[in-house]
Amino acid sequence: MIRIIRTAVFALVALLPVTVFAAQTQYRLQVDGLACPFCAYGIEKELTRTDGIAAIDIDINAGAVTVTTIEGATMTEAQADQIVKDAGFTLRGFEKIKARAESGKD
Amino acid sequence: MRKFFLSAAIGLAATVAANKPLQAHGPVFSPGPETIFKGGTQLTLGFDTEGATGVGEVAREYKPFLEAEYGVTADWQVGIKIPYAWKEETDRTANGLGDIVLDTKYQFWKRDLPGAQYKAAAFLQLELPTGDDDSTPRLGSGSTDVFTGIATGYESRRWYWFASGAYRVNTKGAGGLEKGDKQFLNVVGGVRPILTEYKEPDTVLMLELNWERAGRDELNGSDLANTGGWQLFFSPVFWWTYQQTAVRGGVQIPIAESLNERQATPDYRARLELVYHF
Repeated sequence: MIRIIRTAVFALVALLPVTVFAAQTQYRLQVDGLACPFCAYGIEKELTRTDGIAAIDIDINAGAVTVTTIEGATMTEAQADQIVKDAGFTLRGFEKIKARAESGKD
Repeated sequence: MRKFFLSAAIGLAATVAANKPLQAHGPVFSPGPETIFKGGTQLTLGFDTEGATGVGEVAREYKPFLEAEYGVTADWQVGIKIPYAWKEETDRTANGLGDIVLDTKYQFWKRDLPGAQYKAAAFLQLELPTGDDDSTPRLGSGSTDVFTGIATGYESRRWYWFASGAYRVNTKGAGGLEKGDKQFLNVVGGVRPILTEYKEPDTVLMLELNWERAGRDELNGSDLANTGGWQLFFSPVFWWTYQQTAVRGGVQIPIAESLNERQATPDYRARLELVYHF
């Protein structure tokens, strides 16, 4: 009985993140021209004006911007290109990363 | 004076309280090629001061100013600068609104690389005769003057350089006086001593060399003595940024000059600015 309960609890815990984040998607934007923390705010500003963005993470040394969308929202490469251009930079790469729930299974 | 400071401080504080973002380093005493992102606004609350001595005169000028710039596109910005001038010449003083400046800048070339950016821009400024030109000393030129030129530069995680050339066309002002046109050449080098991450305090140090040459002033078509010549300034400057806010400033020190006849010459110029983008 105890073994069954323990197994059920482990299974529930393992599935929990999938339930919570199943619909969130992350995108990695490789941005050229990103030289300083001060400059990077232009990108954050343009992204926060865009509907469907849940979180933004900027790694200046890698020149990478990770964007997490809210449930049901998506981002296209054309959208990302325009956002980065309006911020004064150049989009070099656009990659859809596995949804956060899927990455939790890896 | 107090009302101006109060209004400027309240305006800036209200903007800062809104907690929105900003961008881009550039020279402090010379034009740079950076522009604001599309739809972005930059507010600057600054303070300029200058001291000059010579030919029995001592002159001091203190000029707080408020500047607002707006990014029409990522490449094109427009702005306005409203100065308040406080001048002392030996035993006379005057203070009041200075000459308001309207400006625009267009970044006509940019090349982005991983962690670095080359760029070049053309700029145009119009200085309006809004300062009192009847006061002693004069707070405004009494003329509508044009300042234009180009600037280029390189910005990377570690290193910076900028170069610019500009020309100032002075038109006939109060009492028929036409100040000599001026030419400017500037070179700037900079370094970020510590590479910081996003949302960490960040410091950049720069050295500017600013060369200025002025033509002779004219009064009713005749050249005036004791005017014109060139000067070279050595200018250490700094940028300190933290998230949406920047503090930048520096001092201009004259290191070489060739001025016509006998003139009062600047001992120093200094600038301190609080900048905010949103």
